[in-house]
Amino acid sequence: MNDQVTISPTTLSIHLTINGRDHALEIEPRVTLLDALRDRLHLTGTKKGCDQGQCGACTVHVDGERVLACLTLAAQVEGRSITTVEGLANEDGTLHAVQAAFLEQDAFQCGYCTPGQIMSAVACIREGHAGSDDEIREYMAGNLCRCGAYPNIVAAVRQAAKELSA
Amino acid sequence: MTVHDMKHAASDSARLEAVGGRLSRVDGPAKITGAAKYAFEQQLDGLTHAVLVGATIAAGKVTAIDTRAAETAPGVLAVLTPDTIMELRGASDWFGNPPALSTYCPLAREVTFSGQHVAAVVAETFEQAVAAAALVKVWYDETPAIVDLSDGKAGDGIAIEAMTKEWGDAQAAFAEAPVRICAAYNTPREFQAAMEPHGLIARWQGDELTIWEPSQWLDGMARTYAEWFGVPFENVRLVSPYIGGGFGSKALALAHSAVAAAAAKMLGRPVKLVLNRPQNFTSYGGRAATRQTVAIGADRDGKIQSIVHRGVNETAVDGMWVEPLGSVTSIMYATPNFSSKQNVVRVNTVVPGAKRAPGENPSAFGIECAIDELAHELGIDPLEMRLINYAEQDPHTKKAWSTRQLREAFAAGAEAFGWAKRSPQPRSMRDGHQLIGWGVAAGTYPVRRAHGEAVVKILADGSVEVESSSIDMGQGTYTILAQTAAETVGVPVSQVSVKLGDSHFARAGVTGGSRLAGVMTGAVYKAAGQALDELVGLALSDPRSPFQALQANTLVVQDGRIASPRGEGPELSIAEFLSAVGRDQIEAKGDTLPVNTTPEQRYKNYTTIAMSIPHTEGDWSRYSWCAHFVEVRVDEDFGTVRVSRVVSALDSGRLYNPKLAESQWKGGIIMGIGQALLEEGIVDRRHGRIVNGNFADYMLPTNADIPDIQTISVGIPDPHSSALGGKGVGELAIVGIAPAIANAVFHATGKRVRDLPITLEKLI
Repeated sequence: MNDQVTISPTTLSIHLTINGRDHALEIEPRVTLLDALRDRLHLTGTKKGCDQGQCGACTVHVDGERVLACLTLAAQVEGRSITTVEGLANEDGTLHAVQAAFLEQDAFQCGYCTPGQIMSAVACIREGHAGSDDEIREYMAGNLCRCGAYPNIVAAVRQAAKELSA
Repeated sequence: MTVHDMKHAASDSARLEAVGGRLSRVDGPAKITGAAKYAFEQQLDGLTHAVLVGATIAAGKVTAIDTRAAETAPGVLAVLTPDTIMELRGASDWFGNPPALSTYCPLAREVTFSGQHVAAVVAETFEQAVAAAALVKVWYDETPAIVDLSDGKAGDGIAIEAMTKEWGDAQAAFAEAPVRICAAYNTPREFQAAMEPHGLIARWQGDELTIWEPSQWLDGMARTYAEWFGVPFENVRLVSPYIGGGFGSKALALAHSAVAAAAAKMLGRPVKLVLNRPQNFTSYGGRAATRQTVAIGADRDGKIQSIVHRGVNETAVDGMWVEPLGSVTSIMYATPNFSSKQNVVRVNTVVPGAKRAPGENPSAFGIECAIDELAHELGIDPLEMRLINYAEQDPHTKKAWSTRQLREAFAAGAEAFGWAKRSPQPRSMRDGHQLIGWGVAAGTYPVRRAHGEAVVKILADGSVEVESSSIDMGQGTYTILAQTAAETVGVPVSQVSVKLGDSHFARAGVTGGSRLAGVMTGAVYKAAGQALDELVGLALSDPRSPFQALQANTLVVQDGRIASPRGEGPELSIAEFLSAVGRDQIEAKGDTLPVNTTPEQRYKNYTTIAMSIPHTEGDWSRYSWCAHFVEVRVDEDFGTVRVSRVVSALDSGRLYNPKLAESQWKGGIIMGIGQALLEEGIVDRRHGRIVNGNFADYMLPTNADIPDIQTISVGIPDPHSSALGGKGVGELAIVGIAPAIANAVFHATGKRVRDLPITLEKLI
């Protein structure tokens, strides 16, 4: 075989760092980060709503920035630090300020968009985009919620932003 | 924290936990940490993945399917076609009517709508199944389709006689009325668009079938699976611990469900099949498109003399859906003469289905816009117009309302909104280049009732467990049933666990029509009461009971402790007491059915909707009510409409948990904003295809579209509607929002848009 040509392997061996833990995976190159999380690693907190980058339910953090896991191949994020909703609370179970605020403000109903909303909210606050209700609405607009928890999500992000800056 | 504060905190927490308290969701921690496993997120050994192939024509025959390339693709286990999938038996409908055909094939030979499933691929991985499904080639003999209601071939449809409601002489009274308006109102095909797609995992073990599937009706769906596969009902177990939104769409086992269960049986391995997002727009019915004409004749002082209403909704070529368009028209206003009739028109679509407030929602769009048009015609304030024609009793059945706090809703909403400051003329309020409009509309939803059962256990450690095959799709069932059991038995909520979403638990009927909370709080109240009675009875009579010596008539259970009412004698925790008498648990099964109900009637009650109790049963007419006040801002140059303020006052009777009820109301209002301004299924005229079947093109409201929303509860306990006094919550608030917005847009612009959604091209 010509050593200039490599035949694409049917599977790749990759390592993903998720919530601070290393995971070894044998997967096809076409596997998305979302399906790797849900189907291979059984981290089903990250939700699949549309699989087309349109709803935000699969939002995770890659090196601290919000990313749609359905539009990201798992192989793309090897060596990067991935955080999912399962990795947000402290080891002792203490909720992240955003999670606690979502509970207090009833910022969800069915709960299916919620992990994505929470991951977006954490990033939204970190980005400095939680300065006013209008700004929160705009920077949380990429996460659809069909139950219509939007006003309560705004209240939760406002509350958490205040607590996190205190 | 001081001692005083702690006492305060304890009483606060008791208030929060009682029925009617603003307790946060008990299932909340699982949902916000990602720990909540939704139905098809279960991990099973040997799980395979199925992907469907949909028809690319809307009408015609499948003439050939070439599966060779798919079959030899990596990882493929089976390619199923109408010729190779196992034959199923026909299943009865949701009324329990027997099937028209004795056999059922969930893959179509005769295509009646675009996207209909014609083949399925099962593979080891999801990626392999997706890739192989793209290799399946299908040939068709295409025939002309009727794409929608406006298709020239659609015709006038079929008259649905059961929808006719008439009293007085509506036509003559309309002709003689001094003031008359008549207009046509249209709503498009709309979709439920729950964030969790439809899907399932099916697993056979011998002739026992387990289905993990998001479901609004475990027992009804289990019945369908049992009938399809000819196995006893008890052999089917449906599991649905959390549901990622349903809005009416997840109450039935559908064609894709049958494909997955059949594939699992044929392969002898569990199969997971999840509809992709575009398939969620074609595999089950959204809200049917509707057309209505509303004619109102009135006196010059605004008193209605006659309403003549005609409605049409689309249905499928091979299935029937009636969206009851006269449901609000016939009860909202007092009128001595009334006529409402309805047709359905067959088009090439999947059978339309239930979407939040089916019937009431489009019905209110017609009558609540029409009354606004009449008010404008007469120069009467639209709120005053509604009060002039206030129905003091049910105009249709002539029965008394069980409770109707609609006048109170108008008053509270108007006060909070500042309605009195409204300038009556259209185009008379503006802020720079934005025209401002204020609109009002009312809404209503019947109190649908049914029977339910629940098991309540008091366990050895003093905790209380509630079991029911009812479900929580976000309405708060886990929470309000915990509150009901805690209050009834006398333990803190932290000592109660509620188990839902398993058809092997105590049975429940459909979660739809806003009936579940009323039914299930009643059943849990009864079962928990029986468990408490048994606990107290045991404490008074068991020879080993430390309370026996008291010779008391009764005991008090509070905060998980048993004591005599006046405090003399011992006081024990429930756990200490059960240990003293050597019992490991007390279990009570309670239901709300009449005592002489036969097992056949019970089965029918839980697996069909045939035994629902009419909302006009007996002496009363039972409805929830609401009044919406909306402000819109319309850009004068571009015609863009933004809702800038909503105040809604709602009568859902007693609220079991106001925090969660307010969330549902807001959710309904927001879905109504989407209906008014954004949502419309667009059908390609050549092939009858939904061209915007995804979340970018079928636009849902986003956070940036939604203003502050104020909800005000004006309900009072309604003893005729439910055991604990509540009426329906979930569907009420969407009813009346679209007309309130349309009326506000008219007030802002002077332009009456009678065709939803109100998009910019209709305003410029």
